[in-house]
Amino acid sequence: MEEDMQQPILEADNLSKRYEDGVLALDNVRFAVQPGTIYAMLGGNGAGKSTTINIFLNFIEPTDGEARIAGIASHKEPLKAKSNVAYVSENVALYPHFTAFQNLDFFTRLAGRRDLTRDDYAAALERVGLQSEAHDKRLKGFSKGMRQKTALAIAILKDAPAMLLDEPTSGLDPKAGVEITRLLGELRDEGKAILMSTHDIFRAKQIADTIGIMNRGQLVMERSVADLADQNLEELYVQYMAGGPASSSASSPEMEEAA
Amino acid sequence: MFGLIVQKELREILTSPRFAATFGVVSLLILLAFFLGARSFNAEQERYEAAVQEQLRQLEGQTDWLSVVPTVNMPPQPLAALVNGIANDVGRSARVLAMGLLRATGSRYNEEPALAVFRFLDLEFIFLVVLSLFAILFAFDLISGEKERGTLRLAMSNAVPRDTFVLGKLTGALVALTLPLLIPLLLGSLLFVAMGVPMSGEDWLRLALIIVAGLLYVGAFLGISVLVSALTEKSSTSFLVVLVVWIIAVLVVPRGAVLLSARSVDVPTVDSVLSQQRRLRAQLMVEDQKAMQKFFAEQMDFSEGGDAQASIGRFNEFMAQQAEDRKAKLDELTARLEEERRNRQSAQQRVAFTLARLSPAAAYSLASMSLAGTALDLPRHFLDQVSAYQEGWGRFQKERTGSAGSGFRIIIATDEEREEPKAIDPRELPAFNYQPLSAATVFRQAALDLGLLALFNILFFTGAFVAFLRYDVR
Repeated sequence: MEEDMQQPILEADNLSKRYEDGVLALDNVRFAVQPGTIYAMLGGNGAGKSTTINIFLNFIEPTDGEARIAGIASHKEPLKAKSNVAYVSENVALYPHFTAFQNLDFFTRLAGRRDLTRDDYAAALERVGLQSEAHDKRLKGFSKGMRQKTALAIAILKDAPAMLLDEPTSGLDPKAGVEITRLLGELRDEGKAILMSTHDIFRAKQIADTIGIMNRGQLVMERSVADLADQNLEELYVQYMAGGPASSSASSPEMEEAA
Repeated sequence: MFGLIVQKELREILTSPRFAATFGVVSLLILLAFFLGARSFNAEQERYEAAVQEQLRQLEGQTDWLSVVPTVNMPPQPLAALVNGIANDVGRSARVLAMGLLRATGSRYNEEPALAVFRFLDLEFIFLVVLSLFAILFAFDLISGEKERGTLRLAMSNAVPRDTFVLGKLTGALVALTLPLLIPLLLGSLLFVAMGVPMSGEDWLRLALIIVAGLLYVGAFLGISVLVSALTEKSSTSFLVVLVVWIIAVLVVPRGAVLLSARSVDVPTVDSVLSQQRRLRAQLMVEDQKAMQKFFAEQMDFSEGGDAQASIGRFNEFMAQQAEDRKAKLDELTARLEEERRNRQSAQQRVAFTLARLSPAAAYSLASMSLAGTALDLPRHFLDQVSAYQEGWGRFQKERTGSAGSGFRIIIATDEEREEPKAIDPRELPAFNYQPLSAATVFRQAALDLGLLALFNILFFTGAFVAFLRYDVR
């Protein structure tokens, strides 16, 4: 009950996006991510997960509705909205000829953190599990997992109340996947509102507080992980991808309650 | 924020292995251009001095200024060794006949044809081809490369205004790719002096402007590359597009413009001018011969008791007058034909250069050649000076011999009267003081192209800026 009283940090409010070619990429999507929670968006390719993140970051404008970060509509005041969010994309290569420190230095300063020292960078890299001998090495020799960890360190150092993660564990080896999942749990515990898109049903159930399934631009299911405890999420996911259980066209528990 | 992005761009370019490798090669080429330029200048200077000495040596022992046909030589110019322009293609000497059309002969490529096969590795070529490619190599993926690496999304996920981001990147790239070039250019200039090339203060100013023109040209290609990279999604696509633009701008447009202008404006050939001149001369000679025969029959008195010397004097006067009249008529025709030819040629060149200036490469070439004094007006400038010398030479001959050196005279002397002819003093030969184009003239000539290069920079950078504001950063 106490959680419900909090102002959500990330909000999709009747978000729709129709591209110029007529494709409806998002259809009236509504969800909210409270501080100290992880919201996992599940869905196949073209489901609308990336479009949602792109609207939050103002890379594209919504056709209808609003994406709000800390109460600020991202397409209306993009700079103000983006100062409240840290972003980790899938497959970020960063600058290959810069060292991990140099990448951190540039991106954190770009994010407005000019107060950080080398020790802060080292602490953040240690925290994400990047060994100290790699800190001064150029990124061109880094594995995908090491690059992803560096990007996470950048996001941590930005210290924004919200985090957007695009497929954070995709393509990582199991060890790196576990480390990043553990880290996301810590960040949640620190009060961050985390929205992540993922294909990984197992990790979503393991780490998220709320799971939303998207299909063809619609949020076809939204449940808390507690609600899903006794259900086979994989089966549910396949059902929704195939058109969904006939009775479950409602997109959120709130809506179900209202009905 | 702006400073941070500039700093990052500088660091990214300057610390990349690609920069280290290419900058080393480029620096070496620049130094080589100065080294070869200095050697070429010194060789040309020696040739020039030898030619002047040879001229004086040939006059030794001669007794009649009327039989002298001086050859004047164009001294080498320091900047021509760095920006060859057409200096090696045009004649560097001219035989100064008493009258008639002057032609410059003995071009360097004519005398040393092997040099023409691969041409010189001069500073203009290095800017035109090598440094423009150098700019492309670092700027073709300035935006699209960031997108591919995912760094653009990451950067733009922060509260960074797009205009600040792109301006920072453009400034950083411009500084990183142009300022380091000043190092080999400065070292090359020092090498030039160390190798004994006499550079005047004005030459230094002109060289500085040649370098400014070169950097503006490099900047233009940098702008084009960034513009293309902000209009494409993949760096491989932007590289291909920029390369095609480079080929069109550097290789196709300048040559195409010249070919088009040749088809659109007809210019009479030098041979047709010479042929008309020869026809008039032959016609005048026939008329004068008749007049001479008439004069000889009617006015000469070689009878017993007649004054033969007075007759000869009158005849010589008549012939001198005839020669002067003939010269005036020939000069008038030559001037008219030459003016007509020049006008047509100027019209053709105007068309060619106007079209060619659509390309920054042509604007840069024309600016640097104008500043070095090796542009298209070099042969005309040389011949104008030779022409002025020709007039002075005609006056000198008349002053010394009483004749302009273009007619016939009769000299009768008895054995008793004959004096041993005195040798002429070669040192009296009027000197040919070649004056290169004045600084004011070359600056005026280069101003348009320098302005155009600046305009290309403004256009391409503005284009890149606007394109990035609309760029899909996803």
